[in-house]
Amino acid sequence: MIFLWLLSPPLAAALAGLALPVRPARLVNVVLALVPAGAAVVLWQRALAGVPTVWPAGAFLRADALSTILALCIAFVGALVAWFGPGAGREDGYQPAQIRRFTALSNVFTFTMLGAVVVNNVGVMWVAIEATTIVSALLIPLVMSKASVEASWKYIVICSVGIALAFVGTVLAYFDFVNLAGPLGGALNWTVLLAAAPRLHADVIRLAFVFLLIGYGTKAGLSPMHTWLPDAHAEAPAPLSAMMSGTLLAVALYAIARWKMVVDAAGQEAFANGLLLTIGLLTVAIATFSLVLQRSFKRMLAYSSIEHTGLTCLGLALGPLGIFAALLHLVNHSVAKSTAFVLAGRVQHRYHTTEFTRVTGLLATMPQTAAAFAAGLVALLGLPPFGLFVSELALFRAGFATGHPWATGVVLTLVVIAFVSILGHLAGMLYGPPSEGVSHGEPDRWMLLPVLIPVAILLVLGLSLPSSLSGLLARGVEVFGR
Amino acid sequence: MLLLALIPLWRHTVRAYARAFTWQSLTLAGLTALTAYFSGDAELYAVAALLLGLKVVVIPRLLARMDRRFGSEIQPYLNATTSVLTAGVLVLFAYIVAEPLLLASRLPTRGGIPLALGLIFVSLLIIVSRKRALTQVIGFLMLENGIALLAVLAAYGVPLVVEIGVFMDALMGFLVMQIFVYQIHETFESLDVEQLSRLKD
Repeated sequence: MIFLWLLSPPLAAALAGLALPVRPARLVNVVLALVPAGAAVVLWQRALAGVPTVWPAGAFLRADALSTILALCIAFVGALVAWFGPGAGREDGYQPAQIRRFTALSNVFTFTMLGAVVVNNVGVMWVAIEATTIVSALLIPLVMSKASVEASWKYIVICSVGIALAFVGTVLAYFDFVNLAGPLGGALNWTVLLAAAPRLHADVIRLAFVFLLIGYGTKAGLSPMHTWLPDAHAEAPAPLSAMMSGTLLAVALYAIARWKMVVDAAGQEAFANGLLLTIGLLTVAIATFSLVLQRSFKRMLAYSSIEHTGLTCLGLALGPLGIFAALLHLVNHSVAKSTAFVLAGRVQHRYHTTEFTRVTGLLATMPQTAAAFAAGLVALLGLPPFGLFVSELALFRAGFATGHPWATGVVLTLVVIAFVSILGHLAGMLYGPPSEGVSHGEPDRWMLLPVLIPVAILLVLGLSLPSSLSGLLARGVEVFGR
Repeated sequence: MLLLALIPLWRHTVRAYARAFTWQSLTLAGLTALTAYFSGDAELYAVAALLLGLKVVVIPRLLARMDRRFGSEIQPYLNATTSVLTAGVLVLFAYIVAEPLLLASRLPTRGGIPLALGLIFVSLLIIVSRKRALTQVIGFLMLENGIALLAVLAAYGVPLVVEIGVFMDALMGFLVMQIFVYQIHETFESLDVEQLSRLKD
């Protein structure tokens, strides 16, 4: 029943976006976007008790603590984008047809992501994730230009190939299971796979995990399959980038995490951890060095997403402490990155460019937006008193605790390098004489008020982790079988 | 099926690619039906029928229409000889990789598993070495054929629910790629993928 409240509002909102004229559609969209958030909170309460919510008896849909964490992030970002999406301010410059298309497709996008995290069946999860690629690819060229078409072509080809490889991995795991137990109906359910895992062949499961990691890692933005990400997230309309960076990467990591659980149960934990550690390190390194060279703030945010994905991937490899840190980081990053992108969109619409050299004096031209944007970026840098500081600290502690001092040291250095370059760019944008031809002041600053919510959330997460959240995260770690 | 995948490595026209793909899909449908007959699994007949409808009839027709609009391939990144040699190496690699799978399986169809993996790798080669958007799409379709073949040979297919979902995704994905090919043509006036390299750091 709760799943109905979680999954149907986005579909209803998509229909409303197509059927109603723009202003009422926006209202309906915002209201409906709050419903999945409420449903996710209910799931939260149940997950705290340690009981996964299942529907129906055959367990097609199953929401345990891990699913709930993801569902919360997806619902939150969905609501944020519903408020700040195209049609929000007056400076957007989007046509009604574009606004309608965005409302419809972004809601379908939310639906597919929510679906991916609550289905019990690995194959259906794959179908949902493939669907997210298709839907988001349709939205990237909302404003058609050579750059956006190129970005979306790269996105759809690279991610579809990646997803296909993930399916190969799925088939391989299924193949091994079928050999042991025959073609059962529920064979692709998590619960069944997890139970049978200890008897699966080690070699086959290892091979399957390699395919799965490369496949879902492509969607998650892990290196060396990340090449589509900077282009796609930079050329997409900012609210879409908020959804993609904030939650789609997280959903892909969720898939990897689920499969890691199966591999761990099959006794190959060391293998899985080794792979995740290597890829995570590589990702953070490539992202950090690319960050230094950036000339556009949306691409900078995109590379920051790659960096944080790499950090989360590392966390998954560092035992229970690391997994807790990774999950906390996931939540923090979703909130911070989506906010940053949404505000970056506002800056882009005012300045008509995304290049650093042409965006200066933000504090003078858009004081409220600038303040919020600065807060978002400072949060992303991992500075206290915001939440990412806590999760990154936890990650480093986990790294040292599980006996990887050198790797952790390298990551620490990389994070500092990234910190310095982002801070430099931010300062350049905020201060200095305002760019020419840019109007001053914020006529619709009351629209910005909801942005205080994510900033407040980040502050709360940074200053004192509420016990209900840490309880949820702890349950999430338990799901990993510790 | 593997042999048919080698054709795009050597010919240059979209029509040749599309025809190779059609024959490949037909073979796949046939193999699926055969497996269904021998294993007594009724669901596989449905899968074979879906394959037939979608990949042998609908998609090739759409491909032909696009071919009429856009014309043929230009020189790919690797020439024919290098491509076929690389494909050979990839198939050998597939045999090595598939060894544990052969040991683990007890199904009579298991001999074909390395070939299915080989097909997957060769399709990846096709996608990576083509210069035209449309041929990359065909490479991708062949990749999907390879995966379907793997599923049929290794595990007599996956549960029907998943299979249907996969087909829907494949169809949607293909349609979206089609949309993009049109959009690329409109904005860039050509389907040469090398033009799609403005976005760099």
